[in-house]
Amino acid sequence: MLQPDTIQHSAHPVLSVTDLKTHFFTDAGVIKAVNGVTLSVNEGETLAIVGESGSGKSVTGLTVMRLLARTTAKVVGGSIHFHGRDNVSTDLLALSEKAMSRIRGHDIAMIFQDPMSSLNPVFTVGDQVGEPLRVHKGLNKREARLQAIELLRQVGISSPEKRVDAYPHELSGGMRQRVMIAVALACDPRLLIADEPTTALDVTIQAQIIDLLRKLQQERRMAMVFVTHDLKLVKQIADRVAVMYASQVVEEGPVDEVLANPRHPYTRALLDCIPSRRDGSGNRRSLQPIPGTMPNPLSPPAGCRFHARCSYALPACIVSEPELQATDGKHVTRCIRWQEIAP
Amino acid sequence: MMLAENSEVQPVDQRPLVSVTGLSKQFPVRGNSWGAPAQAVRAVEDVDLTVAPGEVLGVVGESGSGKSTVGRLLLRLVEPSAGKVIFDGQDLGDLGPDELRKFRRHMQMIFQDPFASLNARMTVGDALMEPLKLHRQQRGRAAEDEAVALLEKVGLSADHFKRYPRAFSGGQRQRIAIARALASSPRFIVADEPVSALDVSVQAEVLNLMQNLQQELGLALLFISHDLSVVEVITDRVMVLYLGRVMEVARTEELYDNPAHPYTAALLQAAPGYAGESRQILGGEIPSPIAPPSGCVFRTRCPFALAECAQTVPALREVRPGHYKACIRDDIAL
Ligand SMILES: Nc1ncnc2c1ncn2[C@@H]1O[C@H](COP(=O)(O)OP(=O)(O)OP(=O)(O)O)[C@@H](O)[C@H]1O
Ligand SMILES: Nc1ncnc2c1ncn2[C@@H]1O[C@H](COP(=O)(O)OP(=O)(O)OP(=O)(O)O)[C@@H](O)[C@H]1O
Ligand code: SF4
Ligand code: SF4
Ligand SMILES: [Mg+2]
Ligand SMILES: [Mg+2]
Repeated sequence: MLQPDTIQHSAHPVLSVTDLKTHFFTDAGVIKAVNGVTLSVNEGETLAIVGESGSGKSVTGLTVMRLLARTTAKVVGGSIHFHGRDNVSTDLLALSEKAMSRIRGHDIAMIFQDPMSSLNPVFTVGDQVGEPLRVHKGLNKREARLQAIELLRQVGISSPEKRVDAYPHELSGGMRQRVMIAVALACDPRLLIADEPTTALDVTIQAQIIDLLRKLQQERRMAMVFVTHDLKLVKQIADRVAVMYASQVVEEGPVDEVLANPRHPYTRALLDCIPSRRDGSGNRRSLQPIPGTMPNPLSPPAGCRFHARCSYALPACIVSEPELQATDGKHVTRCIRWQEIAP
Repeated sequence: MMLAENSEVQPVDQRPLVSVTGLSKQFPVRGNSWGAPAQAVRAVEDVDLTVAPGEVLGVVGESGSGKSTVGRLLLRLVEPSAGKVIFDGQDLGDLGPDELRKFRRHMQMIFQDPFASLNARMTVGDALMEPLKLHRQQRGRAAEDEAVALLEKVGLSADHFKRYPRAFSGGQRQRIAIARALASSPRFIVADEPVSALDVSVQAEVLNLMQNLQQELGLALLFISHDLSVVEVITDRVMVLYLGRVMEVARTEELYDNPAHPYTAALLQAAPGYAGESRQILGGEIPSPIAPPSGCVFRTRCPFALAECAQTVPALREVRPGHYKACIRDDIAL
């Protein structure tokens, strides 16, 4: 079990998730999509959640937003605390749906990977950017439109006075993602959850969007959770990183520290998979795939979930699930042999 | 311009396996009933390239730059609007439909989505025996043995022979697609974003496999990807496309270390792994391929554009041995 005080939260993290468990009850069985996730993010800070497909990144974000269908998804354990501007800490899981809908899109906003499916094709860009302002801030149509134009300008859309009346299909993928950011930022949220917001975009547009997010986040002192499968992006956007594997956070800490000095074999192995022809000293480096495959989410292995693929595994690793341990004040890992893992 | 004539790029004694000149493709866009005129998407414009036997040529560029269209033109899966593709001395344009079908055994394709490229109702064994029968006249026991040998070559086993594609993970399906492409013993493979849909650990596995097979079999490969780090690992040379035109071609290390075209430099700096000091982020977006800018197609986003850049299309010219760029300026530091 996780000791809440292993992770040194600063005075009041904007978000703190503790030992969260979100399970899907399906015909095929129970999928423990999120199974003991602990993380936190402070004001003005970006936490990246990185992990391979199916590791539980999106389900973590959607659970915080309370956007999962109650019919199959159940939060079976843990807590999610949100610390608002009013200096009050709220347990999001305890809120009524009505109370949650006042927070969602206002204090906490989310951006998704595919802007086309999250923008409504029959409403103009202005309607959609203005909507949270009408709903949460009580602006009238005209005021909301003026604010929407200003927001579109802030997210780098040229001639916003014209674009405000455009429909999503009239915009490029990069522009739609900017519109999504404008929608998310309309009410000046304290926390932004961005779930792979640039994965579908070209590199030059991706660089523009990352730059924009970083700038807006710093201006507004927003807390941001940035979900990605790309470790290379993590360095550019985040202050801290949480590495997920098979429904759990296996390592978390400051980005520079975790990437330069990983203390979990999975993080190390992921870094070795990143294509790069030359190492730091200019020599050719060969790719080192991780042996084996991801565990089946319906029947995860006992003990450490990474043991079957881990080059450090010992018999003890199969006996019980390792706990998150602090390697120093800010860096935690879920591996019993972390001290022996050479950087 | 003939790249093949340059002795630095290709040893003189080695004739290119694939050689392409003046390749263009326009896709017609129909006018509509409100009177919009019929137009054309200029997907590929005046591309020259060569691939030597056993060489891996990378093709990079943003979405819509024409990468896939170039690959499909090389295999003549689409008819060019202009230009020639010569494969080992044979002009593909001279082949009739039947001859072309037979000729395809020499040139195969691997796609991004391994699921879509495999027939869901065919077992893996049948999917592999089909090209063996068609191209190598193998049947029965011989074909089965050969199919199993192919599975083993890509790191699978005889156990997988009777299974259907849905029973395989993304990485395994891509292995099957590779085995199928190898079945006809081709000399050239166009791989169109073959690892883009895969997780990084699986991507590393498939890249290693492709690299090993390519070297072992002496295959020539056109490796299409928008991921510069993947391209850096697997290719010998790289061609950079923008709006259907070649911006730059060079040996891989040379291109990554000393990009000569402003667009290449911008792409490298935009890549998430960029390690350099100052990072200039390219503004704007790719213009419409229906009405590309006059002169240099990159000029609307180029930080170095001059008035002359709008006048004529810059020729691809050699700036260092084996290193070509289509930019009129030599006075810029990238
Ligand atoms: N609505 C659902 N019903 C059942 N299972 C689900 C549902 N949503 C997600 N899952 C499962 O939960 C696990 C975690 O999924 P999640 O979407 O969080 O992964 P992810 O880390 O975001 O992956 P990706 O990088 O592919 O987006 C996966 O095994 C997935 O199949
Ligand atoms: N069959 C077609 N009909 C009409 N236009 C087409 C067709 N195929 C491609 N195009 C257009 O040609 C241009 C080049 O497309 P292509 O698919 O070659 O680009 P790409 O570089 O492979 O892009 P991506 O990275 O998105 O795969 C695009 O503008 C595309 O819309
Ligand atoms: S606990 Fe054991 S199996 Fe798990 S990561 Fe650490 S060494 Fe490997
Ligand atoms: S020709 Fe002009 S516009 Fe084109 S890349 Fe060179 S400097 Fe830029
Ligand atoms: Mg996801
Ligand atoms: Mg393509």
